[in-house]
Amino acid sequence: MAKRRFAYTCSLASTATILLASVAVSTFAPAQTRGPTDPGVRGGAAGAGGVYPGLTEAEGAFFEVAKDVFQEVDGVADGLGPRFNLDSCVGCHTQPAIGGTAPAVNPQVDVATLRGARNVVPSFITRNGAVREARFVRNRDGSPDGGVHALFVITGRDDAAGCNIRQPDFAGELSRNNVVFRIPTPTFGLGLVESTTDRALETSLAANGDQKRALGISGRFNRSGNDGTIQRFGWKAQNKSLLMFSGEAYNVEIGVTNDLFPNEREGDPSCATNTHPESPTPLESEGGPSPSAGFQADIALFAAFMRLLAPPTPAGATPAAAASATNSTASATTTDAAASSSVLPAAAGTTSTAATTSSTTSTTATVDRGRQVFTNIGCSACHTRQLTSGKATVAALSEKAFQPYSDFAVHDMGDRLADGVSQGGAGGREFRTAPLWGVGQRIFFLHDGRTTDLGEAIAQHASRGSEANQVVQNYNALSGTDRQAVLNFLRSL
Amino acid sequence: MRRLFYIGAVACLAGSLALVLAWRYGETILPFAVTSAIPDPQDGKVAGGVYGNAYFDLSYPLPQGFGEGLAGPDPSDSGYYVLGNFIPQAAPTATILMAAQDMFFAGPHRDVAAVTKDFRESMSQVEAMSIDREPSEVRIGNRAAWRVDFSGVGLYRAMIVTEIRCHLVSVTLTTRSSDERDALVQSLDRLTAAKRATPVCIRDYAAGEQVVRKVQPAPEVSSSPTPIPVRIIIGTDGTVKHVHVIRATELQRRGIGDALRQWTFKPHVIAGRTVEAETGLAFGRGTSRVSGGL
Repeated sequence: MAKRRFAYTCSLASTATILLASVAVSTFAPAQTRGPTDPGVRGGAAGAGGVYPGLTEAEGAFFEVAKDVFQEVDGVADGLGPRFNLDSCVGCHTQPAIGGTAPAVNPQVDVATLRGARNVVPSFITRNGAVREARFVRNRDGSPDGGVHALFVITGRDDAAGCNIRQPDFAGELSRNNVVFRIPTPTFGLGLVESTTDRALETSLAANGDQKRALGISGRFNRSGNDGTIQRFGWKAQNKSLLMFSGEAYNVEIGVTNDLFPNEREGDPSCATNTHPESPTPLESEGGPSPSAGFQADIALFAAFMRLLAPPTPAGATPAAAASATNSTASATTTDAAASSSVLPAAAGTTSTAATTSSTTSTTATVDRGRQVFTNIGCSACHTRQLTSGKATVAALSEKAFQPYSDFAVHDMGDRLADGVSQGGAGGREFRTAPLWGVGQRIFFLHDGRTTDLGEAIAQHASRGSEANQVVQNYNALSGTDRQAVLNFLRSL
Repeated sequence: MRRLFYIGAVACLAGSLALVLAWRYGETILPFAVTSAIPDPQDGKVAGGVYGNAYFDLSYPLPQGFGEGLAGPDPSDSGYYVLGNFIPQAAPTATILMAAQDMFFAGPHRDVAAVTKDFRESMSQVEAMSIDREPSEVRIGNRAAWRVDFSGVGLYRAMIVTEIRCHLVSVTLTTRSSDERDALVQSLDRLTAAKRATPVCIRDYAAGEQVVRKVQPAPEVSSSPTPIPVRIIIGTDGTVKHVHVIRATELQRRGIGDALRQWTFKPHVIAGRTVEAETGLAFGRGTSRVSGGL
């Protein structure tokens, strides 16, 4: 009995020792051995969603009308469907503010059965997952497809009497491994991107060409088949302009035909009952705060909204500072310094003034270090920090330095990220360098929203055939402290 | 009956050989290239711990414990190749990246020294980067090369560049200490390259009066908004002996191959002897944009 008790006591003591040792190791081990942790979505006010500062009164009024239209919810009489992914622009573009990207709660789940619709929510759409569109890689005969296959149909809706089309067979296509996904791209600051000249982009790409080539990186632009100029919008830079981006999304995502895309994708006459284009350029204006906006088609207003939307504000910077960076290097440095005085919510969490100051100082240091490391190991070879816009008709956007953290070129991202979809000059493994401005407040990462973890997003950059392999290897060779600094820096953007 | 058996066996062997060649060399040489075994820059591979590249006639015994890392991207439309990526198999503490830039598509000509000095200037602009060793001429595996060392954020790096067949062949080493870096640089002493005779490489040979007959490729080639770089080897009889379409769609490859097989050139003559020549040319609307540095 005594022997058994002794054994029992020993066993308990051993277990307790192991547990204590585990806690001690996990608490006190140096960061190098613990590995970095994504601090998570930066809290506080949304650093985006406002109007670009310095617009004229007329431009400001135009923006406000455009913003309202961007938030309109479409019914069938407005042009919704017959096939669609969502019923408004803002539903997809809303994180962390209007104009952004996929929100925490996916509105596609509710829209599936709105107004009596009988859609089955596909397995890849979840309430807490990213807003997604689906593309099929191949047609049944094996030829390339690559097109968007809308998730939902208007069948059963109380505003779609007589329509009886079905959803695509997503389960079947999934079982054939034939479905790939895209999530919404944020639209903040895109007026600056649109007004950047091709020459500025080419110069920027060539400027650090030597560094790129020492890292195994090349990159190229996806050029328009129409005029040969650089396309810059969309995951594969497949869209030339904000107007094209708007027109294509209005028809493909919501199903509203328009001046750029005037034909229904679903031709069933019992469903496609509207006249076309469903959203034409109005010949009469209803008046309102912006007389000129009243004569604009919806797609022109969407484009204007995105064009006049301010860029994301890094943590610690004021919107004005972020948007009014000038051409001088000194000024750009000032903006970065402001950005680096960020507070990462997960890293802070102290209450006393002294502790807060200390935490902020510490966070500033780690964000500064993170920026250095980010640049030094080669992330910035593609995620180019700064560009300067060209001469723009909107004077406030003219010749302004901005920090998109993208070269707007497409790069081979390897097998792991490949979606097998070719668009223009971008092949199945190529993607445009995702602009990182605002990444601190994004929830879902990579083109298909496959992860919410920045560290995992970095890891996914490496695979057979990827131009990013060497940079990811550099990242992996860093100390844990420096890898953490990179994540902290990214969450400050 | 026996004769029928022999004919069948021979046909079967020939077919198998063709299949193996097609698998090994792909569309680059079949059916465009007249000579079936002409390698291209991206054809290198590791066997028995040695990286070999027949195009550059290059052989590099990997350092102890190193193996192949992730393969790099396909050749770029500026003629840039990731030839190999070698890493320690135990832990990700170092990398060896071997790359090549086709000098026919690298903008204005720069020699290896100029490229290395430009690279040094470029790296000195990178945040938190120090230049540890200024560009200097070295010998790697008995070849003239240029080396520059740089470091930052705890990573010690070196780049060594040499020129082979009008390509800038570079090796970028990344380690966690300067000693490791020096050790990896020393490993390059065992590298050998370009010992056998290769075609003479001549820039713009396909753009001048040397071209006797030219056939324009199909519209899907000339209308390409992105440049399509091509290397060709011209035989001693002036015909195109080998076509290497560096980056293009399958349709464009076929169009270019069909056209270039009909081109003829004045044979290149050196000291009264005709020799094979190698040159580059680009197709598509974006040909003026073909450029690249190292």
